Amino acid sequence: MSLRLIIAVIVGKLAIYFSRIAGNQGTDFPGQLARKIYPDILTALAGHIQNGIIIVTGTNGKTTTSNMIAEIFRENASTYVHNRAGANMLTGITTAFIKATSLSGQRTFDYALLETDEANVPLLLQEVEATMLIITNFFRDQLDRYGELDHTINLIKNAVQGSRLELILNADDPLQSDFASHTGLKCWFYGFGDTIYDELTSADSREGRYCVFCGHVLSYERYHYAQLGQYHCPNCANHNAALNFTGHSLKMDPGIHFTINDLGLQSTYQGFYNAYNILAAVSVGKRLGINDDVIQRAIFNYQPRAGRMEKFMIAGKPCLLVLVKNPTGLNQSLSMLLLDPAEKSLFFALNDNAADGRDISWIWDADVETVARPEARISKIICSGQRSGDIALRIKYAGYSTDDIRIESRLQEGIALAIAEEGGTAFILCTYTALFSCRQIMLKMQKQSGGIAQTESRQQQKGGGE
Amino acid sequence: MTEKFVIAHMYPDLMNLYGDRGNLLCLQKRIRGYGYDCEIRQLSLNDLIDFPNIDMIFMGGGSDREQGLVYNDLLTKVENLLQEIENGLPALCICGAYQLLGQYYKAVDGTMLKGLGFFDLYTEGRPGRLIGNILIESEIDGQKTSVVGFENHGGRTYLCDKKLKPFGTVVRGHGNNGEDYSEGLWYKNLIGTYLHGPLLPKNPRIADFFIKAMAARRGLPITNILDDTIENFAHQQVKNKILPNIT
Repeated sequence: MSLRLIIAVIVGKLAIYFSRIAGNQGTDFPGQLARKIYPDILTALAGHIQNGIIIVTGTNGKTTTSNMIAEIFRENASTYVHNRAGANMLTGITTAFIKATSLSGQRTFDYALLETDEANVPLLLQEVEATMLIITNFFRDQLDRYGELDHTINLIKNAVQGSRLELILNADDPLQSDFASHTGLKCWFYGFGDTIYDELTSADSREGRYCVFCGHVLSYERYHYAQLGQYHCPNCANHNAALNFTGHSLKMDPGIHFTINDLGLQSTYQGFYNAYNILAAVSVGKRLGINDDVIQRAIFNYQPRAGRMEKFMIAGKPCLLVLVKNPTGLNQSLSMLLLDPAEKSLFFALNDNAADGRDISWIWDADVETVARPEARISKIICSGQRSGDIALRIKYAGYSTDDIRIESRLQEGIALAIAEEGGTAFILCTYTALFSCRQIMLKMQKQSGGIAQTESRQQQKGGGE
Repeated sequence: MTEKFVIAHMYPDLMNLYGDRGNLLCLQKRIRGYGYDCEIRQLSLNDLIDFPNIDMIFMGGGSDREQGLVYNDLLTKVENLLQEIENGLPALCICGAYQLLGQYYKAVDGTMLKGLGFFDLYTEGRPGRLIGNILIESEIDGQKTSVVGFENHGGRTYLCDKKLKPFGTVVRGHGNNGEDYSEGLWYKNLIGTYLHGPLLPKNPRIADFFIKAMAARRGLPITNILDDTIENFAHQQVKNKILPNIT
């Protein structure tokens, strides 16, 4: 028991406290400070995890997946350490441990649930002895145009070798198909059987096109979404791995209903990508031996967090807040609009701060053409944010009528316009740095109009969220 | 029968960075706005370029590995292509495709990638990418015009032949090399540039430069004027962002 460790924990806790008072989220700085005082602090604190350290990584869906796993733990009355979204580097993860532990740094927990970016996995594995690694999917986003994704995937494959990790992999993602043979680790696969939402051809998938073993173009029997689907390589034996956790009987109305093996699940979440998130989270729960009814309850009760499809009720009008950050995510959010048969309005705030990506050209890689489809029934589109002109232009060139495009760069005024539209739901889409402001604006509008968000009331009943 | 322009999209599967699709969508929609039809013909490795029936060439950027494949393929077509460019074939070459037009590309690690050698220019990769919004001043039909975009390149390009005309002069940003204020290359109806974002939707005058060149080569008139309210707004918004103190 080192005095230096205790000092590092105390200093870290003080830093968390003071950053809070200063109005910051205090996610990275406390960990950074504590690591300066006691460089091995993360390893030391991770030593107090009793049952398992679980890492969640991948391009899209890791926050939702890890939040769902957390909900399963909560429902199971397990104790756990969980880093917040946006604090998924080593410093943020260290902060999460400092926050959770006691002053002496000795508190024990059942699990640690660590969400981290792909590139950070090797670093994290050097400091904690993880027991399970879950990969959601690998998508190229606009920042990755120089083969960095391939490089990162290789780094992960090399980093996990020789460890005692179990891997929980997405069998529908061809970029994960060589993990089992390459690492020699115990792998469990989740994936979907045929669904009524599958497409036999797809325009928007690029990443998985080539076989990871031989480089030949893959042949797809069906696509679930993007490059996720049933494929085989005509040149070698590569095809989807046999499933341990199979999603089937999927129905989205637009809430998600489906069955994993023989466990029926229901969620207020929408969109195929969220069905994948549920599938990944439930696979983890099942692997950890958590009871089916606990898992089922957790998924049923789980409500979206900020921007991951949070529902508001403003002046009697349902409003859905959705974070979009890359072409795949945007495609999914837009195809979700098609599942809602009512007339609707759309608000899109595009910012270009560092956290959004300074290069906004990714909007041209997404299938924005969806908004112009008659069955989307979008009566008006309000373009907002620092790059309102660019998103308006994208929507114009998607074939949507310019008469129904409004540019209102100010968020509050823009959201008000979307809500003032007649018809069903107002869909509020925004990039990362507009999310917080949009959410505050909508909470305020909701309060003024006397409605209460389903998420808020639910969280209050439970005595707080994260 | 509506006249149809054919734009060859070269190597869409290999050279497809930075929303290049936006440039093609823009050309297609504007051509239709001018009352003609437009086909985007995707050409990949080993496909022949049917020059007599092609009105314009578009090629984007790719990673080093992909650029190597493209180079080898283009070598087989090189003489025809150069001749067509001399004859005024409109062409837009962005990032990697622009670099390919020169003598060579020398990567940071010293690897040499040969270029097609159409123009006396070369590119050297250096540590530290040149990234950000960029504003340049260009001249179309004797009229000065601002061009906005986004650049993201590790290569520094130098025009050796001083008679070569750059696409524009850098007002804010890096351009060819971050040193001499030149951006891109303009030769007859070919533009090579580092600007994406994509380039054409927010710079409708550049898009129209290509369309007018295509039409002129076919002896077809462009008579109507398109409503560019949103285009101009988006252009101005980026300009204001780059030059916050000037309105």
